[in-house]
Amino acid sequence: MHKQITYTGMIWLLAAQLVVMLPFVFDLPLWLIPVLLFAAGWRLRVLSGAALQPGNVTKALLIGLGIGGLVLSGLKFPSLDAMATLLLLGFAFKSLEVAQRRDAIVVIFIGYFLVALHFLYAQSITAALYGMVSMIVLTGALVGVQQSVAEFSAAQQVRFNLRLSVFMLLQCLPLMVVIFVFAPRLAPLWSLPMTTQQVKTGVADRMAPGDIEKLSQSDALAFRVTFKGRKPAQHELYWRGLVFNHFDGREWRQFEQDIDSQQVQSALLTNYRWQADAIKVQGEPIAYEVVYEKTGQPWLFTLTPAMEVDGEVLRGADYRVMARQALQAPFLLKAVSYPDSQRDLELAPELRQLALELPETGDARTRALAQQLWRETGTEQAYLDRVLARFRDQRFEYTLKPPTLGASDTIDAFLFESQRGFCSHYAGSFVFLMRAAGIPARVVVGYQGGEWNAAGEYLAIHQYDAHAWAEVWLTGQGWVRVDPTTVVAPSRTEQGLEAAMQAEGSFLADSMFSVRKIAWLNGIRQQLDTVQYGWRRWVLGYDGAEQAALLKSLLGTFSVQGVALLMGGLLAAIGLLWLVLLGMTPRREREALEHQLYRRFCAALAKRGVLREPGDAPGVFAAQAAEALPAVAGVIREFTQVYEGICYAPSADGQQATRRLKALLGQLK
Amino acid sequence: MVEALRGHWESWVQQRLPASRVTTLTQRKIFIVPSKTAVGLLVLIALLFLLGINFQNSLVYIICFWLLSLLLLTIFYTWRNLAGLTITALGVEPCFAGEKVVLEMELTRPAHQPKYALELAWEGEDQVQVDLVTAQTLRVKLSHSTTGRGYFKPPRLRVATHFPTGLAVAWSYVTVDVRGVVYPAPIEKAFQPSGNAQRENVEDGREIAGGSNDFGGIRDYQQGDGSKRIHWAKYAQTGKLYTKTFVDYASHALWLEWDELPMPGIEVRLSHLCRKVLEFHQEQREYGLRIPGTLIEPGKGEAHKARCLQALALFGVQDA
Repeated sequence: MHKQITYTGMIWLLAAQLVVMLPFVFDLPLWLIPVLLFAAGWRLRVLSGAALQPGNVTKALLIGLGIGGLVLSGLKFPSLDAMATLLLLGFAFKSLEVAQRRDAIVVIFIGYFLVALHFLYAQSITAALYGMVSMIVLTGALVGVQQSVAEFSAAQQVRFNLRLSVFMLLQCLPLMVVIFVFAPRLAPLWSLPMTTQQVKTGVADRMAPGDIEKLSQSDALAFRVTFKGRKPAQHELYWRGLVFNHFDGREWRQFEQDIDSQQVQSALLTNYRWQADAIKVQGEPIAYEVVYEKTGQPWLFTLTPAMEVDGEVLRGADYRVMARQALQAPFLLKAVSYPDSQRDLELAPELRQLALELPETGDARTRALAQQLWRETGTEQAYLDRVLARFRDQRFEYTLKPPTLGASDTIDAFLFESQRGFCSHYAGSFVFLMRAAGIPARVVVGYQGGEWNAAGEYLAIHQYDAHAWAEVWLTGQGWVRVDPTTVVAPSRTEQGLEAAMQAEGSFLADSMFSVRKIAWLNGIRQQLDTVQYGWRRWVLGYDGAEQAALLKSLLGTFSVQGVALLMGGLLAAIGLLWLVLLGMTPRREREALEHQLYRRFCAALAKRGVLREPGDAPGVFAAQAAEALPAVAGVIREFTQVYEGICYAPSADGQQATRRLKALLGQLK
Repeated sequence: MVEALRGHWESWVQQRLPASRVTTLTQRKIFIVPSKTAVGLLVLIALLFLLGINFQNSLVYIICFWLLSLLLLTIFYTWRNLAGLTITALGVEPCFAGEKVVLEMELTRPAHQPKYALELAWEGEDQVQVDLVTAQTLRVKLSHSTTGRGYFKPPRLRVATHFPTGLAVAWSYVTVDVRGVVYPAPIEKAFQPSGNAQRENVEDGREIAGGSNDFGGIRDYQQGDGSKRIHWAKYAQTGKLYTKTFVDYASHALWLEWDELPMPGIEVRLSHLCRKVLEFHQEQREYGLRIPGTLIEPGKGEAHKARCLQALALFGVQDA
């Protein structure tokens, strides 16, 4: 039939394309949008007759340019980024040759796919809402290309299509939710390489002076925690992430060789594997659920030691928990920790060696200080206390703006000159001092504390909660956590960074207008964050395990009949809802009284032998009937006159007119 | 096998959708299936499901299931866009064989239920797409080609819609219980009898087909009158020139006679008579028609012409 799409349909399509492509500019090459605008502009000129349809040579040239741009943009093949960019490029170019309804439908379907594809990049509520808008516009375009005869004006048509699209999509929601809840969740069939230019946030796999201070300027969320039972005290909340054993005079790294997360992963699977029997479990368990934000890194953060962990994770000999893949989406972990446990009462030789190594040379003054203090104290505990006392008694300062320390002998520079530093300075120099005295020690990096959201009853840990502390191995006690920062700034662990930085005024100094600084706005922010957390936990985190748990709680015992019954019931309910919503329940169409009377009039005349053809206008029929039945000609004429009066020139007193019709009808019978 | 199935299907459709002057598309009469576009969407949904599995991404699942729901919902929407539509056959305008016959219909929708992008089509013939948005009733004409004369029974009409999404197609067949008349195709050039002028004036006042002028009276000769028209007999009587006038055709009826036609073949004769009827009508003459089994008294006007043409069209046609 009318397979060409109209100008309005084309505009719809271009608008939908633009809406779909827009969010990708945050993650993919920016030049895709001009490509779309160029193609769209050309297409519109073709439609209005101002330009010619591009020839095959032009098309080939354009596609060549596009592919060239793709190659130059430095995307790695094969990767999701490259695939998405290629798809977007095709999507933009397709508008050059859309002429038939079929092409338009292809474009819209690719659009639907791209909406879903964008969720691999962003999964926030905002992104989801934007996706909803895209769905509405795409569906509106799908309706738009079906229309060929425009009875409306353009504006009316836009309104109509949007309204229809919104209605339809809303009516789809109940069924969609049911399918979402009950559709089987399968394990990944194969793994696709993710983004190449991935943004990594959060704690990094090495620690140089200044790294954690930078992190502390960010109020981005790191993860959220819900506790099953009581919430531990604020100063107990040490969220272990990575362990740094190797120091090169400037930077702390995980191992001597600078290894990446893949190598860490393989180490955690072999010689650096978690040994359950090294832990002497003691004290109260703390059960909790953590939802990690997407970081592009595999590190997870737990309370030490996490004895039970639920999910696809690895655990290391240093009590770290690590995801098998870098987090490209929010990640849910359920764990039970026993913070009062004793760890590694017997320290394995290779771990001891790792925890004792120091650079061959450098930081001579610190080494000398360690020798001196060790001589003065003689025992591990006394030495430790002495070092901490030194931090407390001398004029050490906790600051977000430490001076630069130079390229070498950074520990010396910090301990004896600047004496101003952040957690990484204190943790690093403390571990150095321990090792210099022959006590095994290591730097632990993660987060400390968190913000309690009373509305949502969860703890939100932000990037500015990033922290570094130390672990020392003491004979008879195993690994003991020591946080030298608390000696200098006790408020850091009791009330958080903000309180610790109150005097300096440097908390989130870069984000001048942070809502955190305004009380009432901060309240709203917490409320919003509660919603976000629910979104993370229940929508994004809804996986096979959640599904099984939900089904179990719904059905008690899991049975095929139960599931069938539930599904059947839900589908029936939705079907009924639809019928009501769509007004499909049979409803008698009420005919206006005058039309009923006119039908009876025609029936009466038919009895007298004058049949009205369906095509006859009342006037024409009246003339015929009057001719055929001269006896009642007057009645016929008047009846028709009154009837036409009601139909074509409705008067205020319609009741009187219909009464007259009834009277006349009586005369006919 | 296929033929048998088709026959079965045809009889089933005929039983389900009997011919009628007025047809309202109710639930029983509407068929609905997902369209080819829907198959494309299903492929997309499968792709999205794979994407959702591989990236364990809830939002991708949501889009996937949303589209699946849309596909299901659209079936109801499309169905409703057709349901309740009333098709009234107003009539078929007569035409000549070989021309397009036109069926006029009236589409009526229930109040408060606008209908969009309704497609009415005869397979391989005319098709039309209409909206019933502001108007509650709409007249639609659809043409169909004809081959021979006789009755025209409009074939089954396909009423369909893809609205709103094109993901489903709802359709019904409507057989309208009206028939039209297809007149014989008029022959190009009417046969002119080679008979002499004397035969024009026959005693009973009738003229054979092929006669042209009728003697009206005489009047005084005027300069320029042709010599053929001079009434020589009167001149012999009076010595004065009179001119014969040929006026007032109405007073004298012409007869179109089947038996007078020299050519063989029924259809040729009918075509010839058809042409003559048209000619006489054009010239506003009064004429009668006599063909085997039918006699139409002389007359004139549109109705008379239609009567004559219909008689020609239905010559020898069994009333179906």
